[in-house]
Amino acid sequence: MKIRYDMTGIGFHKALAVFAVCLGFLSGGCEKYLNEPSDKSLAIITSLDDLQALFDHQSMTIGPNSHLVSADNYYLLDNGWESLSYEQDQRLYTWAESDVFRPNVNDWEGLYTRIYRANTVLEHLPDIERTENNQAKWDDIRGQALFFRALSFLDAVQIWSVAYDASTAQTDTGIPLRLEADFNAPSVRASVQQTYDRIISDLQDAIPLLPVAPVAKVRPSKPAAYGLLARTYLWMRNYPNALRYADSCLMLNSELIDYNELNASANFPMPRHNVEVIFERGSPAGQVLAQSRARIPESIYGSFDDDDLRRMLFFRQQADGLMAFRGSYFGSASLHTGVTTDEMYLMRAECLARDNNVKESMQDMNVLLETRWRRDEFVPFTAASAEEALLFVLEERRKQLLFRGLRWMDIKRLNKEGADISLTRTVKGQTYTLPANSPRFALPLPDDLLVYFR
Amino acid sequence: MKRLYFILICLSSFNQAAAQNTVNGSVRAEKDKQPITGAIIRVLQTDMVVHSNKDGEFALTFTGDTAEMEITAIGYERLRMTVARTAKSITVLLKEHVTLLDEVEVYTGYQSLPRERLTGSFSHIDSETFNKQVGVDVLSRLEAVASGLAVDRGTSAGEIINVRGINTLTATMMGPLIVVDNFPYDGDINNINPNDIESVSILKDAAAASIWGARASNGVIVITTKRGSFNQPITIDFNTNVRVGSKPNLSYIQQISSSDFIDVERMLFESNYYTSQINSVTRPALSPVVELLIRRQSANPAEQEEIDQSIDRFRGYDVRDEFSRYMYQRSVDQQYSLNLKGGSERLAWTASAGMDNNMDNLGAKFRRYNVRFHNTYRPFERLALTSSILYTHTVSGNGRPGYGEIGRNDQYIYPYARFADEKGRALPIDRDVRSLWADTVGNGGLLDWKYYPLDDYKHVSQRTSVDDILLNLGANFRMLEGLDVDLKYLFERQGTDINNLSGAESYAARNTVNRFSQIDESGNVARIVPAGGILDQRYTRLESNNLRLQANFNRKWQSHEVAAIGGWELRSSNTSGSSSRLYGFNVRTLTSAQIDFARQYPYINGGSLQLIPNVTAVSDRTTNFISYFANTSYTYRGRYSLSASGRRDASNLFGLRTNDQWNPFWSIGASWNISEETFFSNRVVPYLRIRATYGFSGNISPSMVAVTTIGYQPVTNNFTQGPMAFFQSYHDPELRWEKTGMTNLALDFRTAKNRVSGSVDFFYKRGMDLFGRAVLDYTGGIGPTVIKNAASMRGMGMDVALRSHNISGNKVNWHTNFNFSTARDRITEYYLANRNANNFVNTPSNVQVSGVEGKPVYAIYSYRWAGLDPQTGEPRGYINGEISNNYAQLTGSATQLEDLVYHGPATPTMYGSFGNTFSFKGISLDFAFVYKLGYYFRRHSINYQELFTNWVGHSDFAQRWQEPGDEAFTEVPAMVYPTAFNKNSFYAGSEILVEQGDHIRLQYINLTYDFGKTDPPAGPFRRLTIYANVSNIGIVWRANGQGIDPDYNSSLRRTPPPTIYAFGIRASL
Repeated sequence: MKIRYDMTGIGFHKALAVFAVCLGFLSGGCEKYLNEPSDKSLAIITSLDDLQALFDHQSMTIGPNSHLVSADNYYLLDNGWESLSYEQDQRLYTWAESDVFRPNVNDWEGLYTRIYRANTVLEHLPDIERTENNQAKWDDIRGQALFFRALSFLDAVQIWSVAYDASTAQTDTGIPLRLEADFNAPSVRASVQQTYDRIISDLQDAIPLLPVAPVAKVRPSKPAAYGLLARTYLWMRNYPNALRYADSCLMLNSELIDYNELNASANFPMPRHNVEVIFERGSPAGQVLAQSRARIPESIYGSFDDDDLRRMLFFRQQADGLMAFRGSYFGSASLHTGVTTDEMYLMRAECLARDNNVKESMQDMNVLLETRWRRDEFVPFTAASAEEALLFVLEERRKQLLFRGLRWMDIKRLNKEGADISLTRTVKGQTYTLPANSPRFALPLPDDLLVYFR
Repeated sequence: MKRLYFILICLSSFNQAAAQNTVNGSVRAEKDKQPITGAIIRVLQTDMVVHSNKDGEFALTFTGDTAEMEITAIGYERLRMTVARTAKSITVLLKEHVTLLDEVEVYTGYQSLPRERLTGSFSHIDSETFNKQVGVDVLSRLEAVASGLAVDRGTSAGEIINVRGINTLTATMMGPLIVVDNFPYDGDINNINPNDIESVSILKDAAAASIWGARASNGVIVITTKRGSFNQPITIDFNTNVRVGSKPNLSYIQQISSSDFIDVERMLFESNYYTSQINSVTRPALSPVVELLIRRQSANPAEQEEIDQSIDRFRGYDVRDEFSRYMYQRSVDQQYSLNLKGGSERLAWTASAGMDNNMDNLGAKFRRYNVRFHNTYRPFERLALTSSILYTHTVSGNGRPGYGEIGRNDQYIYPYARFADEKGRALPIDRDVRSLWADTVGNGGLLDWKYYPLDDYKHVSQRTSVDDILLNLGANFRMLEGLDVDLKYLFERQGTDINNLSGAESYAARNTVNRFSQIDESGNVARIVPAGGILDQRYTRLESNNLRLQANFNRKWQSHEVAAIGGWELRSSNTSGSSSRLYGFNVRTLTSAQIDFARQYPYINGGSLQLIPNVTAVSDRTTNFISYFANTSYTYRGRYSLSASGRRDASNLFGLRTNDQWNPFWSIGASWNISEETFFSNRVVPYLRIRATYGFSGNISPSMVAVTTIGYQPVTNNFTQGPMAFFQSYHDPELRWEKTGMTNLALDFRTAKNRVSGSVDFFYKRGMDLFGRAVLDYTGGIGPTVIKNAASMRGMGMDVALRSHNISGNKVNWHTNFNFSTARDRITEYYLANRNANNFVNTPSNVQVSGVEGKPVYAIYSYRWAGLDPQTGEPRGYINGEISNNYAQLTGSATQLEDLVYHGPATPTMYGSFGNTFSFKGISLDFAFVYKLGYYFRRHSINYQELFTNWVGHSDFAQRWQEPGDEAFTEVPAMVYPTAFNKNSFYAGSEILVEQGDHIRLQYINLTYDFGKTDPPAGPFRRLTIYANVSNIGIVWRANGQGIDPDYNSSLRRTPPPTIYAFGIRASL
């Protein structure tokens, strides 16, 4: 083979070598080029503001409602039950043993989506340096993450587990304690004991980090964390600790609304973000609890005295002559399931009564009830004994904390102490019963998740 | 321009002169000894070049005793000879070059190779075939002439070209990679002037496409632009045509008759259907008949009769006539294109300019200007420098509103609407609110809230202008015989400037101003949005940089032939944009008003709190690729070819560690030219070759990212006043590119005298790691499904391309092109979150990926139909085998995927084109059919819900069941008030509305007269051609008996594109 041109004297091998060197030179610096973000609006989490923005999203202050649907503050008429769009809602109403949650989008999904958000924030925080300038904010965000995670765990354990019983808590089935953001990790249900331990430790970690007065009531705060911790201990029937933390909460915020000053003619007389709200959260009424369907049993409505303002402010007569609830602290049809001072008063009063401190217990009750009754008609209540005081507190707790997402666990925990509250519902002539201490007080998991929990 | 032309001429005539020996000669054709004009005679030692004159004569001077000469002429084979100094006169005889179909060179974007040596599957369309169609755009011409390609018009993916069917389940990832010359084209393909195109190659199989790596799964279309060649006399080509399109045929639209519609309105009125609208605080617009009926309620008998007469007058109007008369017009498109080409021995150049001036059926204008230069300069033998620049400027404006752009939801209007009175004056229409209310509220202080269809467009100016500059630089250095190095660079910048002004008088501006007006304590109007125009401005800039370093090795020795390339390339493409809106804009003073976008204001009609719409947005996206590639082919004795290609791509899209971003794509191929074997001696089939390839190519979605990213909501938290963020993507370390593996087996053949030639390709492909939904334990916190590399599919089919010369004579010629393809796709793996039937029953306007394993990517399913109820005329279906009219169950979870009727794919499984060319002397007649077979579509029918609420009526209404016994003649359900959503969706999704999509369309007819082929040539022209062309002629056969064009069925409002008549002249100097 004859090579005709060889002016420059470059041989074949040399040519290849030059080319190869060029290639090597060009491919250096690839890394930076390949790490350039593909879309600048796709923000990678880099700042505390990014993390706070994840928590300021409205989805963080939405709560579950299946425990509200399951509890006994209301009932449905047959036509209300029949007109429910989802079979699962109908089954939930009758405490069916399976298929009570819609697939994919339900309370479980909502709670764990918020837990994912909290875990994502907790995982990104260490990448942001905590400096003198940002430490308050840094701590606040960490506190919020722990608070939100504990809140969701506490909701979940109320809905899907039996009541806490120190003797069986080690073996009772709790909920999956997801502490990392890795969505591929398998789900394993912890014990009830482990669940409560985690909630307590998260809240105790959060308390020193959170501010006393948050920017807004949709953000967790120190009193909110105290309040949640008190609630946790109350549910564990650890009354001395419940007392301690309810008291801590009230030390920071003990304001009450005077119901005399509310506008009874408003559709929803309770103003949103009122002074009793420590941490606001709304649970959707959904179809079941909507004013158009959910009716208040006479046993509840009738328990309010005519001079008790709540009789008028909490209820509205519907076209069928029956009562519907309108007393949500959310100021709308959504139900308030956050943390409020009235709950704290009632918790402290309950714990004091259980501690035989009748005087202080009744004192708390009277401070609260004075604001619930017609101004001129209120006569302070008294109790002759601790038992009487406790019964009074529990009755008032029932009346004041309607549709707050607390009744379901109250039934469960009080049944542990022999209250023997059985629930019955009648639909189209058929009666459904949920006997006290039934394991069905722990709701079944959504059916579409069972495959992951075998 | 003149000046430039002059310079170019100077350059081309630039010659070196040295005089020693002179040899005179003449160049003649071997066959008939006729002189050959314009032959190029080159002395190889000195690179000196002369051309033969019109008598074929030339004179050559050289130094030395002998000179080695190379003589080339278009249409003749190249000849080399040695001339001695002593020779005084020589005659060179050139053999005529026999053009064969397969002798074309195919350009892949990386290298140009003769087709005979390629193992892969390519379709090649030369400029002659390409130019049998006229019009502004490039890609729409391919359907009628290319093999293995179909345009999908039936699904919601939009009009997408599918090369060999569908390869992905993500609609945004469909469609081939478009390459212009050397690099993927990022700009708007409509920037390219079709007259600048030399050829189009479609790379179909893995061996052809995998050199393009990560974006080649859907095939690659390589567009090659025209360029000059060395030693070429200057040629000037001019092409102009005018295209006139008829008005669209609105009677094609199956619209309910006005009379029927009025009857429905009267019925609804009597049923108190409108009461809630009449009493509504949002004051929704009512139709004129309903307004009259309201007045009639409180009228005396005489007035009532008058009103009834007025209502009956409406029965005679048809809004389609109004649209046709006042809105639509003939479209007129003009195209001019000038192309200059030439080349000296050092410089090859081309310069072109084009202009398109179009006016569409609605009077919207579009103008495009193209200027293009392409130069190859060879300062010395080993080095070639290329530079090209293409500048495009387009401007488009708005026209009048078309059918389906006026009314409820800006779509439908009652069928008796009128736009002008007898004197042609614009008539108003209540579009959003009742003018009866609007005229009185706030002491009449609102702006006129009526819409005037005839005039409104005059107050609106929507102007989009695009400037695109495409700069190509290249250097080719020949290091050794057969080894050269290319350095290529492309820079593109496209700026798109959208300027939409809704003038103060326009309905859009008045509507916004009125909605946000408030009534103050004194009952007067206070304006939150001040009166004035609304100006939307959007600017998008695309900037693309491409750099490639490539070594080419081509060598032939004895029986061996090697063609190899290898190189490195870098691509970076950035798109950034911003948009903004000004309220209260004054065109004359360019002033605008301050607006508080963060505050909500109550609508004056209804009081719902709304933010003032804010369109301010900024975007910035970058795609970076780094790639290595290599491609080798080896041919032994012209019979056996082997090919292999490999490519590695890395990109920034996944944002992972660099190591994980590299992804290899490769292919291998082999071919055997059986007819070259000694044992194969077949006179009938003198050419026969088989090919086989296998390999992988990829696909990518810029929207997939593997890291956790968040986005911000446009509004802040009401209470914290802080921004609110949501997750846009979740950290997924397993994310990777989609991959398609393809096997191709093919046969190329040619019968004696080239009478029939063609190829048959069979392909089988597997799509792996396709993005699809994967089910997830939602305890993980990111919902029940996630999009990841979870799906897979397969596809198979064949492409047959045949070309026959039925008559080949001196005067009469007839040849036929026939393309036939099949492509069937099946999903083999996909997660179905929900098997409820209603997820799989699509509507005509929304055909989504079905995702059913074992079924096509797009499948047509429907509800089983049990006929109309003989008593009530209501539709019926089946639940568990029992006839049922429980529509909630029929369309709910009681009907599962398994209960549906599966009809078949929604995209054609067989398709192709059939073209014929007849020529007699200079006259040539072309026509081409396009056909699509083996698929289904769902037709529209009456939907009572839509009829009652949205004024959408279908002419099937007239065929509806009205009394018992009608069920024997009709399947159209009775009108029952009130109607239920589920009932209507059951009928709309039932099997009786599914039709076969098969059809054959006559795509174009082209008649050409070529003066240049007559004797003597006409005047000063080298070639002069006049042509007439008719396109969009329409369907000649369809399987559905409803007269529906399945390609234009996505909405009830659509009409097939009107027929276009074109006339043009092509001239060469």
